[in-house]
Amino acid sequence: MPSVRLEGVQKRYGDIHAADDLNLEVRDGEYLCLLGPTGAGKTTALRVVCGLTSLDSGKVFIDDKDVTDLEPERRGTALLSQTYSLFPQLTVAENILFGPDIHDLPEEERRRTLADMLDLVRLTKRPDAFPRELSGGMMQRTALARALASGAEVLLFDEPLRALDARLRISLRHELRSLAKSLKITVIHVTHDQDEALVMADRIGLIRNGHILQVGEPAQVYDNPISPFVANFVGQSNFVTGEIIDKGVKTTVKTESGMTVFARPCAMEVGEQVVVGVKIGNTEIAREGDSFFEGIVERVLFEGRNLHIDLLVEGTVHFSAKIPSWRLGKLASGDKVMIKWSPESASVFKMPEKGLREELRVE
Amino acid sequence: MPTVQLSKVSVIYGSVVAVDEVDLRIEDGEYVTILGPSGCGKTTLIRAIAGILVPTRGEVFIGEKNMKGVPIEERDIGYVFQNIALFPNMTVTNNVGYGPRVHEKSKEAQVEIAHKYLELVKLLEKMEMFPSELCGGEQQKVSLARALATGAKLLLLDEPLSALDARVRVDLRYELRRLVKRLGLTTVHVTHDQEEAMSVSDRIVVMRAGGIVETGTPAQLYTRPLDIFTANFVGETNLFEGWVTHREEGKSAIELRDGSIIDVATCECAEGDAVVVSVRPEFVFPFTEGMRTRITQTIYMGNYWRIVGMAASEDTVEFDVPVAEGNLYHEGQEVYLMVNRKAAVVYQRPREGIAEAVKLE
Amino acid sequence: MARLERVLEFISRRSIRKGWLALVILFFLSFVIIPTIFVLTYAFTNWDAINSVVLSDPVKMTMITNAIINSFEIAGLVTLIDFMAGLPMAWIMVRKKFRGKALVDTLIDMPLVVPTAALGFSAALFWGIAPGDIVNPLGLGVVSSPLLLLILLHIVFSYPYMVRSLSAILEQIDQNYETAGRTLGASPLTAARTITLPLFRAGLVTGIILCLARSLSETGGTVIALATLSGSKGFNTGPTLIDGWKAIAQTTDPNYNAALAFVSILLIIIALVLMVLIRVVVKRVHLPMGKVWPRPEKLLSRGFFPKLKDSSTMVFLAVMVLLPSFFIFTCVFVFNPTSSGNWGGFGSSIIYSFTVAGVVTLVDLALGVPLALYIARGRSKRLPEVIDTMVNIPLIVPTAALGYSLSLFWVGGNAVNSDVGMLLVILAHIAFTYPLVVRNVTGAVEEVDPAFEETARTLGAKPIQAFRRVLLPMIKSSILAGAIMAFTRSLGETGATRAVVSNANTAPNFIVTLITKAPKDFYSAALACIILIAISYVLMLGLRYFTRRGKGAN
Repeated sequence: MPSVRLEGVQKRYGDIHAADDLNLEVRDGEYLCLLGPTGAGKTTALRVVCGLTSLDSGKVFIDDKDVTDLEPERRGTALLSQTYSLFPQLTVAENILFGPDIHDLPEEERRRTLADMLDLVRLTKRPDAFPRELSGGMMQRTALARALASGAEVLLFDEPLRALDARLRISLRHELRSLAKSLKITVIHVTHDQDEALVMADRIGLIRNGHILQVGEPAQVYDNPISPFVANFVGQSNFVTGEIIDKGVKTTVKTESGMTVFARPCAMEVGEQVVVGVKIGNTEIAREGDSFFEGIVERVLFEGRNLHIDLLVEGTVHFSAKIPSWRLGKLASGDKVMIKWSPESASVFKMPEKGLREELRVE
Repeated sequence: MPTVQLSKVSVIYGSVVAVDEVDLRIEDGEYVTILGPSGCGKTTLIRAIAGILVPTRGEVFIGEKNMKGVPIEERDIGYVFQNIALFPNMTVTNNVGYGPRVHEKSKEAQVEIAHKYLELVKLLEKMEMFPSELCGGEQQKVSLARALATGAKLLLLDEPLSALDARVRVDLRYELRRLVKRLGLTTVHVTHDQEEAMSVSDRIVVMRAGGIVETGTPAQLYTRPLDIFTANFVGETNLFEGWVTHREEGKSAIELRDGSIIDVATCECAEGDAVVVSVRPEFVFPFTEGMRTRITQTIYMGNYWRIVGMAASEDTVEFDVPVAEGNLYHEGQEVYLMVNRKAAVVYQRPREGIAEAVKLE
Repeated sequence: MARLERVLEFISRRSIRKGWLALVILFFLSFVIIPTIFVLTYAFTNWDAINSVVLSDPVKMTMITNAIINSFEIAGLVTLIDFMAGLPMAWIMVRKKFRGKALVDTLIDMPLVVPTAALGFSAALFWGIAPGDIVNPLGLGVVSSPLLLLILLHIVFSYPYMVRSLSAILEQIDQNYETAGRTLGASPLTAARTITLPLFRAGLVTGIILCLARSLSETGGTVIALATLSGSKGFNTGPTLIDGWKAIAQTTDPNYNAALAFVSILLIIIALVLMVLIRVVVKRVHLPMGKVWPRPEKLLSRGFFPKLKDSSTMVFLAVMVLLPSFFIFTCVFVFNPTSSGNWGGFGSSIIYSFTVAGVVTLVDLALGVPLALYIARGRSKRLPEVIDTMVNIPLIVPTAALGYSLSLFWVGGNAVNSDVGMLLVILAHIAFTYPLVVRNVTGAVEEVDPAFEETARTLGAKPIQAFRRVLLPMIKSSILAGAIMAFTRSLGETGATRAVVSNANTAPNFIVTLITKAPKDFYSAALACIILIAISYVLMLGLRYFTRRGKGAN
């Protein structure tokens, strides 16, 4: 069973670094989500793995075998493009049999593969339909069946859910993952949707500007981000900047405006300029009680499960909080609230060289 | 001041009924979202309001005036397109200034108005650029500024955020609502994204197969949806199949297929009726007794753990537990679950079957 | 099966793929591009001959100057009229839905496939030849100026090119731009003028260049039209001059070769320079799109005016394009027993023409499709871009000049026997039809998302398999359309044929000879034209059938 490894991959298009010293290891049978904003180099990474994009330098290994110069058709890595690329002139069944036909499998085996695949993706009733007659979800499943039928053991998903409705997307996450898991295939799934990555991945790889920032299990990436960008991209975060004035079991940071906030222990020294980040879901607000500082409720937005609260701190800094929606009605715009968080839920980062705003850009 | 009224509007293409006798009234200054899956007719509807297409039957009123025979350009609307549609050969300023330009404003006034609205969307520094030099979120903001710059009081948004990245989408929707409310506009927003709909709207209109399923505030649709389709479409939910065994004001009992009982506060159905109970995952919790469930998967969601299981009644159950308790649950484990009885909603079991009734496409 | 596998394996090797490609490019350069412009070298090698035979002969110089001025005057005016009448037609065809649209669509394409010799005769009968004439009971007979007659004739076959080019671009311009403009308060006319029209530039360039090139090239119809007009003695265009002189050079006075070369060089250079200029100018020029006149434009967008515009466009199509091209069929009503048609000769000329066209089309396909793939899939790389530009050259060069250049390249401009003659005619026809196939297929391949082939490759298909199983079915209709276009162009070509071998036995040449050589036999010519037109229409219907089916599948 295959693992995939990229070592020091470089790819430039003019001035743009589509891959910049890209290193990534995907374990055998793993479901890895490559998460990043548009233009981060996610798709390039996929194309490098399946051989559709040639490298400027670096190496690609599949199952520890160097495949850097191998043609795409010999890698056993099937790509599912965003629009699925179902062959329009072929029916569902013919699309699924594309791989077996190329490999010239005997009739008996072709028939069995087709039956298995149709069954697997619940399309037994539509083998003779043409792609244009299918709904988005069915097209996606046909593409998946076609990839599996080709015998590929590594599947590369390029935003496989993007073309679908938001609600359908949520329902299909589970289905796609369990299918991959039950077949024990290795999957690299590219997405810009952090919820999707959290729900589906064994591990998440954060990518930006063609470079992997952090790889880890969802909880790890969510709770221990290595940079403000990661903290804000995987679950929104609030940030304050300031100087470390004390460290120990918790880090004490004093902001420019003189407020004191706490965060978890860190390796930086007293006196350093830092950014403290805390997930908006871990930002606690209350009418009264002790707090780091006060804020004014700007607006309360109902999001179903949660309320999204926008706050203004000291007239300039924007903060947000996410609280369960049963607290609706207890807060209104203009209310004064106390803001705090538990020190363990806040991370401390070095002040980014280009400034916090530039660091947080998502486009 | 613009209100929008649709009366018995139908749009028919050949044998396909895209919109079927829709009645809808949108008040002045209201932010209404039309929410539904692909192909439900929502885009057709907003295009009929804009005058981009003419309804086969029925009438559209804007500001109480019948729009029959009134061309697009005289309806005084702002329209934002899903594919953004900024004029590629004009700078950002000229794009935003196009409305004033065709309204015979002077050159200076065009620029002045353009700058005013670019400032509103905080893109003044990009005014000399061409659309292709901007990223997706910025493009859509410019397109919004362009739609607003005509001074129209009715804004029509046709899936304005669906071409954007998830993260950008979230940031932009708050921005959208803030601007619209500040300018006091009447807004019709079309989307298939239920989260987006909930966070921006005063009122949501849920559509399916060319018709309106139900209308309500986001909180109404989330907590007490009238239709089982809405219950599933607007946020995730658990659906339990059962029968009403006992009915009483404030406390009715529903028996599930394995004989276990769910208590619910309100039940409109009669004793003996076949029903479906809808409970959102955050209102299902582990207890010492209740539905016996085997856990099949645990998922980290950042703020909570989502636990997925299969109940003895053969209903799939999802429930949420706080982050700190996540390590108490693992795959294969058996737990007992209770539901918050006030949060449970009971529906007659649909004749076509549950799967068909909540089908998403 | 194992052998097939090995063959696939072999041709999928990178080195084999590269070698094959090099071969195709080599063919393109040495059989298409170099022969087309080879005549330019004549200026360096035989300047003395040019000097003594042409430059020092004021009579020839006047003829040349007049002919070239005529050519460009006609081409310029024709293109202008085509544009003015073509723009509203493109709008109707792309943006409007109406009953009978498919029929109008077919009618617009008709003149494209009819041999211009037949078209020229038909148009001349309609406009020029007095109705009193025995074969022409219904003609208008209103035009006696050769310049005007040629303008009217050239409109007939260049108009479809303009409409097609403009429609192709308009189809690609998202209609949402215009709708967006209208939601901002612009009337339909204002929105079309200020938003869509400026996005038109690329289509405009292709349209203008195609029309100019077609008009500058046209020989057969022009020769015929002039021959039917009594007052046209001494009136020449560039191609008719080459046509006339080639006959002299081949039969009586070889000295005329220098004159021929000189005219060809002039035509080629002026045509190429003009094309480059047009590209630059159209890109630079800013039409006064900044101004808006909301009220008058709103008025013009409403009620009576759009209807007037649409109906006059349709009238233009009917009177200026369709009637002249169909008019020849009225000759069927005339019975002329005195005519002594040489039908055996016509039969053999048709066989000759079909043989040439068939061979030409096969070669075009075999070597054109690979080049098209290379161009379409190699975007953003240097060499494919260069080749892409070069492909246009044979389309721009007037075919008579191309023909002379080619005969100079292969046989030094000398007379040849009929077997070699046929080979030369084939080579000449390849030179100007090859780009048609390449253009068509390139366009089609570019429409297909490369993700299809890429996906196929990750599913295990070798490049050749990905092409055959995935891409080929998607572009099949365009390949066929290109093939039929090449076939009909070859069938209808007169200028290049006569410039290579002035007495080649092609069908158009047969008709030209009937009309120009005494005793003129208009009646037989008309019947021959009708037969040729009928054959072309059948081919045309085939083209429609295949392209329509192609659209349906997507």
